[in-house]
Amino acid sequence: MGSGNWSTDVYAAHASYRASTGASAFAYSDGGATAVHPDLDPRGVTARESRDSADHPESLAIGVLFDVTGSMGTVPRTLQAKLPDLLGLLLRKGYVEHPHILFGAVGDATCDRAPLQVGQFEADNRMDDDLGKILLEGGGGGQMRESYELAMYFMARHTSIDCFDKRGKRGYLFMIGDELAYPKAKRREIAAVIGGEPDEDVPIAELVRELQRRYDVYFIIPEGAYHAGNRELKDFWQGLLGQNVLYLDDLDAVCETIALTVGLAEDAIDLGEGLEHLAEAGSDAGASVSRALARLDAARAPVAVSSTPPGLDASGPTATTRL
Amino acid sequence: MGHVIVVDLGFGDAGKGTVVDHLCRTAALRAGGRPPTSNKVTAVVRFNGGAQAAHNVVAPDGRHHTFAQFGSGTFTPGVRTHLSRFMLVDPLALAAEAEHLRALGVPDPLGRLTVDGEALLTTPYHRAANRARESARGAARHGSCGMGIGETASYALAHDDAPRAGDCLSPARLRRRLAAVRDWYRAAFPGGEDVPDAGACAEAFTAFAERVRIVGPGHLPALLRTGNVVFEGAQGVLLDEWHGFHPYTTWSTTTFANAETLLAEAGASAARLGVLRAYATRHGPGPFVTEDPALTADLPDRHNGTGRWQGAFRVGHLDAVALRYALEVTGGVDGLAVTHLDVAGARPDLRVCHSYEMDGERVGRLETGPPDLDRQAALTRRLLTARPVYAPLGRPVETIEAALGAPVVLRSHGPASTDKRSDHFWTPIDLSVR
Repeated sequence: MGSGNWSTDVYAAHASYRASTGASAFAYSDGGATAVHPDLDPRGVTARESRDSADHPESLAIGVLFDVTGSMGTVPRTLQAKLPDLLGLLLRKGYVEHPHILFGAVGDATCDRAPLQVGQFEADNRMDDDLGKILLEGGGGGQMRESYELAMYFMARHTSIDCFDKRGKRGYLFMIGDELAYPKAKRREIAAVIGGEPDEDVPIAELVRELQRRYDVYFIIPEGAYHAGNRELKDFWQGLLGQNVLYLDDLDAVCETIALTVGLAEDAIDLGEGLEHLAEAGSDAGASVSRALARLDAARAPVAVSSTPPGLDASGPTATTRL
Repeated sequence: MGHVIVVDLGFGDAGKGTVVDHLCRTAALRAGGRPPTSNKVTAVVRFNGGAQAAHNVVAPDGRHHTFAQFGSGTFTPGVRTHLSRFMLVDPLALAAEAEHLRALGVPDPLGRLTVDGEALLTTPYHRAANRARESARGAARHGSCGMGIGETASYALAHDDAPRAGDCLSPARLRRRLAAVRDWYRAAFPGGEDVPDAGACAEAFTAFAERVRIVGPGHLPALLRTGNVVFEGAQGVLLDEWHGFHPYTTWSTTTFANAETLLAEAGASAARLGVLRAYATRHGPGPFVTEDPALTADLPDRHNGTGRWQGAFRVGHLDAVALRYALEVTGGVDGLAVTHLDVAGARPDLRVCHSYEMDGERVGRLETGPPDLDRQAALTRRLLTARPVYAPLGRPVETIEAALGAPVVLRSHGPASTDKRSDHFWTPIDLSVR
């Protein structure tokens, strides 16, 4: 009927928990890996697919790609730890019935070991495994640019999503980072990193147009990141994506921010309801999410880092702004 | 395939671990390639017992692990474990189990674990009390595993401040509650074995909470919506605290009841899968009508030796009377999984018991009823004198289906997942779409 197979020594257990702390979600990177994990290597991938199935008749594709270079400091690790909760958040209150989530990572094609890493669209916690395989870059160049354009090229031309293809419903793409993209996706780099070769370099504005046909595209700037306060950074992404640039002052709230953004866009909730859901779930992210999304709401006003909408003190979510 | 509850219909050791592993593994295979999803198992949920469970799984590549608190689907990448509020969580044994899984190449087992904050904690003090009490019983031992499970449950009944997983997030309260358990142990068993002090225990438990996600009541309903979940029972129905043969029982509800409660709270449902061996086993003392010392000698169990606290591993013939009793007290099953068919195939002398000679009459059905330990104790006394009436086992699967009136949906012919065969129509994957 059972047994006592495992040691119950209090000191051994203590040491074991301590030793395993922090090694968790980053096993691949911390294990000394220096190359992109084969499961996440975009090279030779025809398309990452999000397909309807019997269990998920109305799939909705959601891509989340984040910058893993040195300028982001500990941000990638926080993201890696937080993002597994995203699926539960989307499902819990029925914002989306059948989300398919893809995780990926962006580096710099001019100097990094892993300029682009892209997992699969997954409908369950298997996406955690993709996160665990992401290689974190330690260094990063000083040019304040990362190869987001390669990531956008991949998402634009190497994903196939039923929500759009079958039902004309756009998916979502969130990129999280603190640097500019290069102005063009270069043929040579596309050939080296992804494979295939377009006739010429593809300007980023064209990629954004292509992407926006099939995805709602957002760029999230974590305020803890190195370049976050930089004016050029804001102007660059706002110029490309307009109001869909979100400033997040607490990275712990990244899942909640994404979930509520999707919930709002899906018309499943208004901001007040979403914030109530967060409070109900015991999340203390409400204030940060509210600030990030209120800015999205206030797109007509110039974006200002320090502006906290009235009534949104740390005391908790009170805003009922309708997007 | 939908959610599935896996429960052992005997005295335990029927092969829940290998069945759960199989369900997780084959569902992953079927869903292989793209599109993702459909049949994949997201998580295994434990809904009774604690660290004393011993569910042996042998991977196709030969790796072996005795699952105690981790779900037996852990060898399949992506499958998580959730310890529900009905679990008695032992953070110390959990650390050692995670170490072993890691050594077998399972990346970050603790990262794939969630624990309900309401789950009771088993401490070194409960364990020491368990051993002291069982030693004092002498020859009348109950067959406890010496892991403190019963003491954890009984302490919680008598003390509102019994430590729970959520307390590990509040160091001061945790320390206070652990000190209370330690004081209780010291007062009740002054001659009992030495135990660590409450401070050291609190530090280890705090480290546990920093490493393992402790979640609220909303977690499981969300999990049930993200994919298929396998509920993995521990021990067996014949050891159930209310329906087992008192006092040779475990302090745990071993039927489908806890799992059904959790599912009902989430507005979900699951198929009910009963696991049994093609013959009978019992680990430890207590009634075992079809016990056969010759089989005990011939069919040693690789993963079940004589335990210091449990006693001997005993083997006997298929007991249809006891299995029908198990089905009756659980309210029946949607399908059966029969394991050890390779052993049955090699032993033509195996038999099946359709009725007992008991109190001078022939009995094919044992009385059941609402919880009543006096009735159960009386039943135990009668069972200790019962004699089995045997017929040849014949073709085990057909014999079992006829004797129990339920379809066999999974046949196991060896320890590994690759030794399993799903039945033609009644694959486990089909359980929910009947």
